[in-house]
Amino acid sequence: MEKRTDNTFPSFDDLAAKAQWVRNQVLNMATFANSGHVSTAFSQTEVLVALYYGKLLNYNSKEPKWDGRDRFILSKGQGGIGLYPILADVGYFPKTELDSFAGRGNILGVHAEWNIPGIEIITGSLGHGLPMAVGMAQAAKNDGKNHLVFCMLGDAELYEGSNWEAAIMASHLELDNLICIIDRNGQGVMGFTDKINGPNDGPRLNPLDEKFKAFGFDTYVINGHDFSEIFNTFSKVRNRTVKKPMMVIANTEKGHGSDLIANQRMWHYRVPKGEELNQVRDQILAQMACTGKDSGQGTFTLGKKE
Amino acid sequence: MKTTGTPKFIRGMRDTYFDSLFPFFQKDKNLIMVSADNGAPSLDQFVQTLPGQFFNVGIAEASAVGMAAGLAFEGKKSFAYAIAPFISSRVYEQVKLDVCAMNLPVTLLGVGAGYAYDIMGPSHHTTEDISIMRALPHLEVYSPADPVCSSALAQLSVEAKGPQYIRFDRAGIGELYTQATVNDFRAGLSLLKQGKDISILSTGVMVHQALAAAEELEKKGISAAVIDLYRIKPLNVELLLSYCTETKAMVTVEEHLLAGGVGGLIAETFSDEGISMPLLRLGQNDQFVFDYGGREVIWEKTGLDTVSLTQTITNWTENKFAPVRRNNLR
Repeated sequence: MEKRTDNTFPSFDDLAAKAQWVRNQVLNMATFANSGHVSTAFSQTEVLVALYYGKLLNYNSKEPKWDGRDRFILSKGQGGIGLYPILADVGYFPKTELDSFAGRGNILGVHAEWNIPGIEIITGSLGHGLPMAVGMAQAAKNDGKNHLVFCMLGDAELYEGSNWEAAIMASHLELDNLICIIDRNGQGVMGFTDKINGPNDGPRLNPLDEKFKAFGFDTYVINGHDFSEIFNTFSKVRNRTVKKPMMVIANTEKGHGSDLIANQRMWHYRVPKGEELNQVRDQILAQMACTGKDSGQGTFTLGKKE
Repeated sequence: MKTTGTPKFIRGMRDTYFDSLFPFFQKDKNLIMVSADNGAPSLDQFVQTLPGQFFNVGIAEASAVGMAAGLAFEGKKSFAYAIAPFISSRVYEQVKLDVCAMNLPVTLLGVGAGYAYDIMGPSHHTTEDISIMRALPHLEVYSPADPVCSSALAQLSVEAKGPQYIRFDRAGIGELYTQATVNDFRAGLSLLKQGKDISILSTGVMVHQALAAAEELEKKGISAAVIDLYRIKPLNVELLLSYCTETKAMVTVEEHLLAGGVGGLIAETFSDEGISMPLLRLGQNDQFVFDYGGREVIWEKTGLDTVSLTQTITNWTENKFAPVRRNNLR
């Protein structure tokens, strides 16, 4: 796909800068709370930025429960810390909430909760998003509504069997309004899903695309950090003709954006501190500056290129 | 070959519930049934005549509860139906998070309360559901003792704004109520038999056992009131106390583990309300059951048969309600 040149979308450079802004916010929030899943928030960032800033997802931040909205289910609820900066930035709630993440009186929890504006359902325990998304997608079918139901899962979340129960049902019901995304960062809590180097690794998920094809999904595999591939795939979601749920396996790096964290073990819920923190932040800020665009404060306006 | 006549099919409490529910489904497309591959003769009318209102997810209870919750999230009133242990303990986290924590209008229907699936072993016994389900905020817990009560519960399900769990017995349980209306079952419990000495409170099939024991106790000169607790949560404390404080002591009888069951509920309530009435909790001690031969065999081993119940309650009464020491209780 050609790089977008029209003026109704932020450029890929803008989006890349926004992604680094999100990562920097995640670092600040995790540091404040001394908690939060930094590495998993870093792997999902580009996909979320594309969905929320790239007009791929229909929503109205001033009316979070607008009936025509696409439902976005963050089934990997530990990724909440990486979605909150985006929700605040697009207007669901004041950015000041980010400053006291998970603190006294704050509305944001470590895991995504339904009472946070812009979050649909409670997640945090894995394997709950997809079964509920199936019910939501079927309800839309029953009512003749055209919105889509997006469900983002972690790849290691797929070890929970309820996902496969729901996958069978989604396919059986021909839920073509269900768009699943797997943040395929290749890591769980202890080890790697498919790079087997000891008992902490596995069990193997590959061949993951073949599994979902066999389960009846319209399956795509993309680079989840490449905006071109992300837009190329998600721009199709509203005009598919195949009567199947869609599955986008977004290959990502856990901890993407930081050489210290990326693809390393034991960063699942570890918060970088001291020199580590400086190292991670410096690299993110440097990458943000490299884009030559956004100052890192999220200043571009959605839908209007500066 | 010797043949028997056509077996008489006794409408079960599950079937009277579904029969009462069906007209509501016909009138409102927003009522949706999700089954985990569990059928019933009375459910066939839903399957055959209501497209888009009945889904069979297969033997997949997590999927059933999740889907029902997703439907309810979108404004539907949904029902998730399975065998009782599989819609309670097997999917406890789905019930807790998908349904109760978001206070969604999902009614969980479990058939086979207690030892209803007697010879099928602990996999199919449901003797911990009262304690675990009543622990969940927002969840209403019903345990009907007869088909008349369960029939009335259908309307209460349709009216419910939040989650419910209904534990049904299997077919063949006789009727306790006659000419009752839905409004008769809004109170949560009812006094089936008056008594002066003690109150026996029970739920589900054990209400029948309590009535039988009360009859035997009368012969021994003990006047026992019998209370049917068909709604376990929320408990109608005021009505309960108005009944039981007329007597000197309380016995609870349940086909359920004693930990956190109906007896535990009453102990909590007495403590909270400052009631110092003697309380005897009868039910299953801290063990699983692997005994075959039928429900009555299990009752005999558990002390829930009429003879044992009568004897235990008589002894307790004659001993002036002295504490009963039991092995393997905790």
